[in-house]
Amino acid sequence: MQLSKQQIDYCMECGVCTGSCPVAMELEGFSPRGMIKRTLGEPDGNILQSRDIWACLSCSRCSDRCPVGIDFPRFIRTYRNKARQKGNLPKFSHHGQFHTITAIQAKGVKQDRIGWAKKAGKICEKGDYFYFTGCITYYDVGFKYLDLNMIQSAENNLLLLNKTGIEPVVSNDECCCGHDAFWSGDDDTFSTLAEKNMKTIAAAGAKTVIFGCPEGYSMFREAYTEKFGSLPFEIIHITEFLARELPNADVSFKSKVKKTVTFQDPCRLGRRSGIYDAPRDLISLVPGTDLAEMEHNRENAICCGTTAWMECSSCSKSMQKDRLKEAEAAGARMIITACPKCQIHLTCAKKNTDHNIDIMDLGSFLAENID
Amino acid sequence: MSKDFNPRILTFACNWCSYAAADLAGVSRFQYPPNMRIIRVMCSGGINPNYILKAFEKGADGVLISG
Repeated sequence: MQLSKQQIDYCMECGVCTGSCPVAMELEGFSPRGMIKRTLGEPDGNILQSRDIWACLSCSRCSDRCPVGIDFPRFIRTYRNKARQKGNLPKFSHHGQFHTITAIQAKGVKQDRIGWAKKAGKICEKGDYFYFTGCITYYDVGFKYLDLNMIQSAENNLLLLNKTGIEPVVSNDECCCGHDAFWSGDDDTFSTLAEKNMKTIAAAGAKTVIFGCPEGYSMFREAYTEKFGSLPFEIIHITEFLARELPNADVSFKSKVKKTVTFQDPCRLGRRSGIYDAPRDLISLVPGTDLAEMEHNRENAICCGTTAWMECSSCSKSMQKDRLKEAEAAGARMIITACPKCQIHLTCAKKNTDHNIDIMDLGSFLAENID
Repeated sequence: MSKDFNPRILTFACNWCSYAAADLAGVSRFQYPPNMRIIRVMCSGGINPNYILKAFEKGADGVLISG
């Protein structure tokens, strides 16, 4: 979506965006309000040459609070595409390997995306339900150095889906949803990936697509519907699906160790998709677990510090450390999140500090406590 | 795989050992298949994972890191 000049014109310069922005609190001179103002003054002006254009995390705290509903992250995204054309590129994290993996998938490559699923549970080739695994299969390889076993999240999600009586399709032809390409302004790669995924889902004959990752879910919800119109299948995030199905399924939970946990709202699941209660309902299914809320929770939650594998900086680290401190201050012994990237980023921050708190994804937490 | 398959193999060779060896093979006029494309690096420890992935993205069939 390209915001029209008129929409930006609605800006009242109240500054709620800048006041809400976790980047503006850390990075001197960064101001969403200021960027809108600069753009109004000169639509294709110096914003395209600035580094600030890459600093926005698209965490959507600003747009969630904007009194006139300006979606600042989408605004900045459209300018990112223009900035790329002018040679202003982001600094990719992790040597850019995840963007290269995305590019390879867009070109077309034979993938083994179902090896894990065959071992972990029951899947099928065609059916009503499609489990969209997301890039977690690649993160599993990329983040061994953090002692993260990322594929476990997918395995546990599949286990829980099987418990609800579903044998979903998991496909070798699935591609990256295009989230990182989209938010880093690489529209061509996003379009190629989106078309491939639509074909793969159609070929599987799925009526419902269940997303293991909030980024994939939010991309289908926002960007895919914008590109393809209404989708010929239902989309649902795994937390919502499990919150609906697990209470009726033949499965019960027993907390092995009583503990206090807290929930990190992923930006894509919370503010961008409006899902706050489903993950909390799921945590409450495990008896003996106390859910303590961090100081900033739900729509006020703070981002895990980086988006789209780019521009990881001291600003990101500072936000991540603050988040770990908030969790500890709430009395939690564990942070549960529903996004693989939150899990990776917070684990990375923990590794470099002396915080002692577990970080786990929601599916694994539930699977661990099955009676 | 057909017999005609001619893989393009990108080689990262360390300046201080394997590149010197490749150089020696050259001056000694040893014949070796032309599938190898060598990039000299000052240390094989300086290769990051994205160099390898980029090679595949650009169409390499294999990557050899030698150091």
